[in-house]
Amino acid sequence: MKFLTVFLKTCREMSRDWLVVSLSVVFAPFFVFLYWIWFSGGSTAYNVLVINNDTGAALANGAALAAGEEAIQAIQGVHYADGKPLLKVVRSTDRTEVDRILRERGAAAFVVIPEDFSSTIKSLQEGNRMVTAQIVFGGDLTNPYYTLGSIMALTALEGYVQKATGQQPLIQYIEQPLGAYAARTEFEIYVPGVIVFAVIMLIFLAAMTVAREVETGTLRRLRITPMTSFDLLGGISAALVLVGVASVVLTFVTAVALGFRSQGPMWVAMLVGAVTSLSIIGMGMVVACFSRSVSQAFVIANFPLGLLMFFTGAIFPVPQPTLFRLGAHEVGLFDLLPPTHAVVALNKVLTLGVGLEGVLYELTALVILSVGYFALGCWLFQRMHMR
Amino acid sequence: MNNVVLQTQGLTKRYGSLIAVNDLTLEVYEGEVFGFLGPNGAGKTTSINMMCGLLQPDAGGVLLHGQPISAGDKEARRKVGICPQEIVLWERLTCLEQLQFVGQMYGMERRTARQRSEKLLEELDLAEKRDQLASKLSGGMQRRLNLALALVHDPDIVVLDEPEAGLDPQSRVKVRGYIQSLARAKTVILTTHNMDEAERLADRVAIIDHGQLLVLDTPEALKGRLGEGDVLEISLNGQAERAEEASQALAREGIPVALDAAHTSLTVRALNAANLLRPILEVLQAAGLEPGEVRLRANTLEDVFLQLTGRKLRE
Repeated sequence: MKFLTVFLKTCREMSRDWLVVSLSVVFAPFFVFLYWIWFSGGSTAYNVLVINNDTGAALANGAALAAGEEAIQAIQGVHYADGKPLLKVVRSTDRTEVDRILRERGAAAFVVIPEDFSSTIKSLQEGNRMVTAQIVFGGDLTNPYYTLGSIMALTALEGYVQKATGQQPLIQYIEQPLGAYAARTEFEIYVPGVIVFAVIMLIFLAAMTVAREVETGTLRRLRITPMTSFDLLGGISAALVLVGVASVVLTFVTAVALGFRSQGPMWVAMLVGAVTSLSIIGMGMVVACFSRSVSQAFVIANFPLGLLMFFTGAIFPVPQPTLFRLGAHEVGLFDLLPPTHAVVALNKVLTLGVGLEGVLYELTALVILSVGYFALGCWLFQRMHMR
Repeated sequence: MNNVVLQTQGLTKRYGSLIAVNDLTLEVYEGEVFGFLGPNGAGKTTSINMMCGLLQPDAGGVLLHGQPISAGDKEARRKVGICPQEIVLWERLTCLEQLQFVGQMYGMERRTARQRSEKLLEELDLAEKRDQLASKLSGGMQRRLNLALALVHDPDIVVLDEPEAGLDPQSRVKVRGYIQSLARAKTVILTTHNMDEAERLADRVAIIDHGQLLVLDTPEALKGRLGEGDVLEISLNGQAERAEEASQALAREGIPVALDAAHTSLTVRALNAANLLRPILEVLQAAGLEPGEVRLRANTLEDVFLQLTGRKLRE
């Protein structure tokens, strides 16, 4: 009953602090929108600098062969499943200029087509297999875009050479993507991560909401009532879950409006988002136990935030040491962080088209972690603020 | 025979080497206004927290209606209402909402809490502000709301910590009148530094210092202990270097005199203080001192307080 009273009181307070609540709710949808702009509504196009030194060649029938130009067309023809370009050719004639652009990360890689490229292609067409041409490529190896840009450009060049010379590949490699990944735009691939990111940010709101009760002294007034830690933290958490769910739902709506397609049932993804928000709020309660003011809660929350962002796969995958096995599942250290399971579950549902039964393990883990962090928060709060 | 509502027996609390409350034994009677006085750091708050079941004593115990209570005792909490000195309100709740909220947190039914809240708002002249956010209230209104929050669950015992602090004269009169109206129906424990407030409101006064109970009696009886009669205060016009000499001269004449720490004034307490004025002035003139302002007033509780706790500044 007191839990419900705190819940209603927190809802009232939040409704009057509309700026903070609104920002919390629209944070993720706004990021989805930014990602959509960033990827031009689809996926990243990687810039490839091309220096075409090819001088061309005359074919036996008198026609001119411009193999260098054709190779550039082949690079430009690489595209995503939705037809949007994957590589963008940026022409140059000056190697110094090319290096400058690469240093400034204006392009992913460079390719230099040699002077004898057309004549070599011509010789190969005529059956002379003893000739070869050297295509130089490279770039800033520390640039995350380099690997993808250079490999895709060279694959396009290889394809052009095989086609132009009639050479059959010695071995054919056939890619079989998992689920619907191949048909996904980069924007769609990133949406699950943004949703998890949005939920992670709830840790601030949760910790600061509780810390405000400590800072303003209202907790002391509540301490002299027969209220328990569970009543207070439970009521506040329930109100914050509403914010979390609203944010998750609005994020999905925004994503769908911008072209996102879920492969699995959307309600399962929303359920995962809601349970994840509960677990993050539980962590926020733990943070609040160590905070005596709102500003202190903000600072302390940054520590778990770092762990949640960088060690859960929300931003990039991380290897984790296995602690033990649970049936078919390896349980690692970072599995103690709720977003680890949320990332996997959302990816399964949204990208691979899995239903509820496919994410039961992750959902169970999230529920257990939610209960665990909330119980830890209540216990710590009782010890640190209620005595 | 007075009914004892609250009783402490050898109540002791230590924080490391500091003994915050030392063997405190006292009784609070039902329906009385009990003044709990002491300098800063004397142990008032620690004592109150133990009396209300918020803090576990290291030794001794507290009986509420004859039943022992312990820290975290929920029943004890329902019977006690505490109004802290500082204003503690939920800024984004209206007056009615926060009273109702606190009432419900004490386990009251929603409807009962609402009725009780509206009654309190009426009694404390806040009815017109019932739907106004606490952050929008004036300081005096906030303090009255602060008081109402301690009473919303209709406790038997109300602890008021400096209830008149920061109030304008109008609000002070209102709050004082309200506290007086509470007396008899409820037991009021009043902690304050304002001796005038304690003297006007309290039926009995306990003065503690360094965690120990120094005296406990009615204000009149305490003033009587200090010495019946009046107080004569004579300013020495800044002639501090000769004050000690004059003080000794008066003492030789058998006049009970006290010299303040800064040697700027003499204080004489006696039944016939007015009659002593002439001989005092003669002694001072003989000592070459020109007296300044002379004031004759009645003994106050503040005199008792300073007599018992000294004039040295505290934390």
